[in-house]
Amino acid sequence: MKKRLAAIPKWVPAVLSALLWVGVLILLWEMGARKMDVTKRTPENVLPHLKNIWNALISTKKVAGGKTALGIVMSGAGMTLIRALYGFIAGSVLGFGLALMMKLSGVVERLIFPYLMLIQMIPILGLAPIVLSITGDINVSRIVIAGILTFYPVAANTLAGFNSVEREKYELMYTYAASKGTIYRKVLIPQAIPYFFTGLKIAAPMAITASILVDTLQGDGGLGCILSQSLKHAMSIYVFWIIVFFSAIIGILSSKLMGLLEILVLPNKRRRRARV
Amino acid sequence: MTAKIKRKKSLWKRLHENKKFVAAEAVFLPILLGVIIFLLWQFEGLHKILRTDTFVLPLPGRIGTIIVDNWSKIVVDIKATMIVAVLGLIIGCLAGYLIAVLASMFKTLMKSGISIVAAFNAIPIIALAPVISNWTKDVSTDANVRSMVAKTIVVAIVSMANMSINAYRGLTELKPFSEDLMRISAAGKLKVLYKLRIPNSVPYIFIALKVAVPSCVISALVSEYFAEYIVGVGRKIRENIVLAQYSTAWAYIAVACVLGIVMYALLMLVQKVCLGRRGSRTS
Repeated sequence: MKKRLAAIPKWVPAVLSALLWVGVLILLWEMGARKMDVTKRTPENVLPHLKNIWNALISTKKVAGGKTALGIVMSGAGMTLIRALYGFIAGSVLGFGLALMMKLSGVVERLIFPYLMLIQMIPILGLAPIVLSITGDINVSRIVIAGILTFYPVAANTLAGFNSVEREKYELMYTYAASKGTIYRKVLIPQAIPYFFTGLKIAAPMAITASILVDTLQGDGGLGCILSQSLKHAMSIYVFWIIVFFSAIIGILSSKLMGLLEILVLPNKRRRRARV
Repeated sequence: MTAKIKRKKSLWKRLHENKKFVAAEAVFLPILLGVIIFLLWQFEGLHKILRTDTFVLPLPGRIGTIIVDNWSKIVVDIKATMIVAVLGLIIGCLAGYLIAVLASMFKTLMKSGISIVAAFNAIPIIALAPVISNWTKDVSTDANVRSMVAKTIVVAIVSMANMSINAYRGLTELKPFSEDLMRISAAGKLKVLYKLRIPNSVPYIFIALKVAVPSCVISALVSEYFAEYIVGVGRKIRENIVLAQYSTAWAYIAVACVLGIVMYALLMLVQKVCLGRRGSRTS
């Protein structure tokens, strides 16, 4: 019997307990929804049944502007997510570049690092209208703000990666008489890449959040814009619930996607995963 | 005379080998940059670079006068925001730590609980805030109190995820020899917890707090946008922008930045007191 138990692969109990947790969450939600049915006049505003949200998702009824609920959400999501992606890419390239510059020159590091800390303290939506009036275009400002938000975690993590290189590795490179460029190419950058991905994993949901937040400023049909319209009952409240779940799922997926990308990019991580 | 004459090190290099100079430079350089930006801003150089005007980007002097003139009003908003941020941070961190402790003791059942909590971390705050504010409609008849509760819950959820992930790492990534020692001493699960796991997790708590403290201020600001009751620094930023009173909005933005910085400085102070020299090793 004991031998049989050992034959079960390691991931089975992990998956089972994850399923258990999801089950518990769903159960709690449904219990809450059942209670709301009795106590509230409009339960769908507070806690609708998951089944109803699903029905709203697949129904073909036109909600607004001749589109189904799913259609509205998807077209909004397309607009919002593409801009989040542009900002995310720009922010991560800049963040990596700045971390590299800070590593290359101690002066630059001492000059800029306190300001890096400052950037994450500035409330984003406060910046949004100002960026909007400077750039004069909502799309550009969305990209800029997603970029600013991505920038900090990527730069800080990559710099931590550069600084995590052990002394022995420098000494080895010194005995090889390696040039500065070689040290960067062979030691520093490979060492920093996992840290860079940690930064990306943190930044990806933030970029999406930023993009949705900027949407709420102007009515041009992004996710955030639809969300606030639906909250004000300009269209079915179920659209709101669909967006809530959609953005939660997209946020989680975006972070997972970065993890997947990391495994694709880093062969030794892939091998380690295969061995386990 | 075949031996090369050793070249004298340049002044630049010699200066950077001096520890005192490097330390002074770390303070002096950012201040210099700050002063340059400030001067550019005050004398409208920044406006030319960004191609904007003093209406959208008011001069720092004007922002300062607005803060001073409206100080009595601003204090009310600061109080509202800080209560939410600090209360949410404390509740969230305690809950997150408790989850991590449970997960470190009952690994098979609770470990995926951590990944569920981590998934919470990826949920955009925009999706969270309106839902929570819907759920807390019955908490109190006073709109101020119930928005307070809603905002605090949002901040708590955001801080909780962060804390539980980091604390879990601190509670489980033990030194092998310490674990062996515990096994040799036949220590029970509880004893391992408070003799080894909890002390080991302290530096990780500070790693979590370094992210959680700035983000608790920001999530308090953002959750105010969706709250029922109009109060708080974040809400005032938005209200003033809607009314196109950019200079007042900037005053509140400046206040928000200062709040974040003060909180972070306090955290650094606490870390210095709690960790002493251990702190420099982990950071």
